[in-house]
Amino acid sequence: MNQILIVDDSPTIRRMVKASLAALSGPCEFVEAASGLEAIERLAIGPVELMVLDLNMPDMHGLEVLGFVRSHSKYRQVPVIILTTRGDEASRVAALEAGATAYMTKPFAPGSLATKARELLEAAAP
Amino acid sequence: MSDQRSDQYILFTVAGTTYAVPSSQIAHVDLVEEITRVPNAAPFVDGVVFSRGQIIPAINMRARFGFERAPIDLRTRFLVVNTGGRSVGLLVDACREFLRIDPSAIHPPTDVLGGGGESYVAGIATTSSRMIVILDLDQLLASNDPILAA
Amino acid sequence: MTEFLDTFLDDYFAECDEHLTAVRRTLLALESSVGQPRPDPAVTEELFRAFHSLKGIAGMVEHREIELLAHEMETYLRAVREGDVRLTTAGVDTLIDAARLLEHAIAARRNRQPPVDVESLVAALRQIAPAGDSAPGAVAVAPLGDAGSWQCLFTPAAELIARGVNVDMVRARLRAVGEIVTAAPVVGEGGGIAFRFVFRGEPGEADVEAWRADGMVCSRVERETVPAPVAAVAADRGAATLSSGHYVRVDLARLDDLMRMIGDLVIRRARLGDTIARVEKHVPPAEWRAIQENTSALERQLRELRDGVMRVRLVPVGEIFRRVPFVVRDLARETGKRVAVDISGQTTEIYKFLVERMLDPVLHVVRNAVSHGLETVEERVAAGKAPEGTITLAASAAGEIVTIQIADDGRGLDVDRVIARARVAGLPVPAHVDEAALLELISSPGFSTRDASDRVSGRGFGMAVVRTTVQDLGGSMRLASAPGQGTRFTFELPLTLAITDALLARVGTQTFAVPQAAVREVIELDAASIQALEGGEIIQYRAAPAPVVRLSGVLGIPVPAAQGRLHAFVVGAGAGAVVLVVDRIVGQREIVVRSTSDPLIRVDGIAGATDLGDGRAVLILDAVALARHARGGWGAAPRARETA
Repeated sequence: MNQILIVDDSPTIRRMVKASLAALSGPCEFVEAASGLEAIERLAIGPVELMVLDLNMPDMHGLEVLGFVRSHSKYRQVPVIILTTRGDEASRVAALEAGATAYMTKPFAPGSLATKARELLEAAAP
Repeated sequence: MSDQRSDQYILFTVAGTTYAVPSSQIAHVDLVEEITRVPNAAPFVDGVVFSRGQIIPAINMRARFGFERAPIDLRTRFLVVNTGGRSVGLLVDACREFLRIDPSAIHPPTDVLGGGGESYVAGIATTSSRMIVILDLDQLLASNDPILAA
Repeated sequence: MTEFLDTFLDDYFAECDEHLTAVRRTLLALESSVGQPRPDPAVTEELFRAFHSLKGIAGMVEHREIELLAHEMETYLRAVREGDVRLTTAGVDTLIDAARLLEHAIAARRNRQPPVDVESLVAALRQIAPAGDSAPGAVAVAPLGDAGSWQCLFTPAAELIARGVNVDMVRARLRAVGEIVTAAPVVGEGGGIAFRFVFRGEPGEADVEAWRADGMVCSRVERETVPAPVAAVAADRGAATLSSGHYVRVDLARLDDLMRMIGDLVIRRARLGDTIARVEKHVPPAEWRAIQENTSALERQLRELRDGVMRVRLVPVGEIFRRVPFVVRDLARETGKRVAVDISGQTTEIYKFLVERMLDPVLHVVRNAVSHGLETVEERVAAGKAPEGTITLAASAAGEIVTIQIADDGRGLDVDRVIARARVAGLPVPAHVDEAALLELISSPGFSTRDASDRVSGRGFGMAVVRTTVQDLGGSMRLASAPGQGTRFTFELPLTLAITDALLARVGTQTFAVPQAAVREVIELDAASIQALEGGEIIQYRAAPAPVVRLSGVLGIPVPAAQGRLHAFVVGAGAGAVVLVVDRIVGQREIVVRSTSDPLIRVDGIAGATDLGDGRAVLILDAVALARHARGGWGAAPRARETA
């Protein structure tokens, strides 16, 4: 069972991401977090196979969350797709250097998100 | 000699001759405002101008160089300079150009200019198209004697 | 794609409603922050987030107008949050208009109506947001509250979450009892994750106990370990410092604007006074009294405001002194002398513009002291002095006067040499040359020479300019010197702005101002009553003959021959009274005195200049000098002084 953690402070966006990934093959369970702290809490509770992470959140910036995740041996390997409104090259590079596995911008095409998610899940599967 | 390290100058014309002053000495360039006459001041001092909260003496540069005064027109400019702790305004025929002058293009003033021992000319710059007289502001403002046209 | 998006429209509209409700609420809160250097950060943050989120979801459903409008609102709010732009009523109004337009745009989409045009409001928002580089703004330092500081460690667990106790809920709990300063994840030994909250508040004991069962461990924290929410102000101001929570950093350019505005206000109030005076005859006496009371109160309050703002511009005089050691070191190296610098009183505060004007004079005196005052090492040793000379700088304040002293322990002024040089320069040398006379001589234009040693001292800035600068600032200078021991210059500068009451008088086509303090009386006289006497003119004034001076003649202003009633003002008292004839006395008002110290316009009889609010300079007459002229101070009309 793939646990997919969707982190974004907008419930609309979370629903859209969930809907985009609904077509993924294999059983998936979607978990939502509306803030950075909640995302980390969810990580602490149980395993996560894929994280879709917004950057601009009220309590913790997405890159801070990413930094924390990557510094923890238990979660270092979790694939993270950054999904954000900032499309400039500098932000993309910064995110990738902070440890993001992929970087996509909003508005996103649901098909592209699904394809990327599938790629990352298959690559991680043993 | 005025400070030649900065090679950015502002150019202005008075009675057909182009002069230059280091741009580091320029406070600002204004359109001519009301000039209040100061009684019994030197003949080439038109008076004072109230500009940006300061009282600034206005030197009529045509008169300073011994020419007849000309009526003020749209090109006439008031050039406020700072030097030696003073702010002084120069009334010139026109002023609209900045120019970088390489120190190598500046020649020392020769005796041909005449006009007295302590020269207000710091040097003469030659460019491909013209001759520019570089002024030593401290000298120019130090003396109250009108400088006779060469 | 549109099909996909359509299924989310309900969510989209629902979320928009949520954000709009928050926007409406916070905009009202923002309104009360108008005019403050920085509005409540919590409010701007919430608004900012709302616009940002709206922009995000609008972008997702391709709702362009909302995206565009929200983007501009977000940009403006970011500028307000950073302090790049000050929040104004107009700004809040524009935001409110924009919020209303947002609602319309969303409703239009919802009801499948044509899209709303947002261009004009977008343009309006762009206008109030800063263009390129933003000016540095004010930074407020948050005052430290009195509430206690607490730490709460929350360890999440599956069964807690099953019960509904998650980090978000914990956060809400803490917010309810105080203000969260920081919240961050921490890793414990064993790799477990917990959350550490630091908050300021007073949770009840019962709550603290009950929360333990929910994985929350709360404990009090010592003040020092609480991370400061904003940077503290560096407290190296010396004497008059308050605790850091009481300071605000302000951009000095804005203070300059304030000062200029105050000067303009003074002028404007004076004009108002003139206007009001003109309508006196139309006003019933009872009303007139009220008007008078209000205008004098206004005048008094304006003076207080002026003084208050002036005080804000106080900076430590150390700003001037700071430059001295460098100047001295360079000069000492050039001259091969050994010089130490002793500075005291650098925390003494003076007005910033005094600092700006006094910098060059102070440096000049210091250079003179090193070049001329101090002896070489050999000379000093031969004289039994320490090989190293000392330059002493001291500043102190007493009441409304700031005193700056610059001294050296060198050879002192060579009186004979000064006298000789003065004679060569054609300066009058009194019979008895005391320190005041010495100062007068060395400060006279024409005294300073240009020999090689002067070149080292710096050209173009003689003691004459030092003196006029000090005088322009309304201050005074003293000299003390002893041969073989050294020289000391003392500057006294007043901490008041030069605003004075003046009479306005017309001579020909030009208006002049005369300081009220110098005017004894304003009179009208008959041209026929003026009598010629020994090349001058006199008139009967209070039973005694008084000289008459026609200012038109003295000032070189051509006027038609005066006949009939003439207007004049009287300066001087008793036997020293002098009658100065003008064309008309135009009025009376407060003026801001500005200096006319430049040698080009330093003419006898003119004490300075001012402006009457219309951008034109008006000269201030030195009535006393003009009167002296009448009594034989000068033989002919005054001339411009020769320069150095």
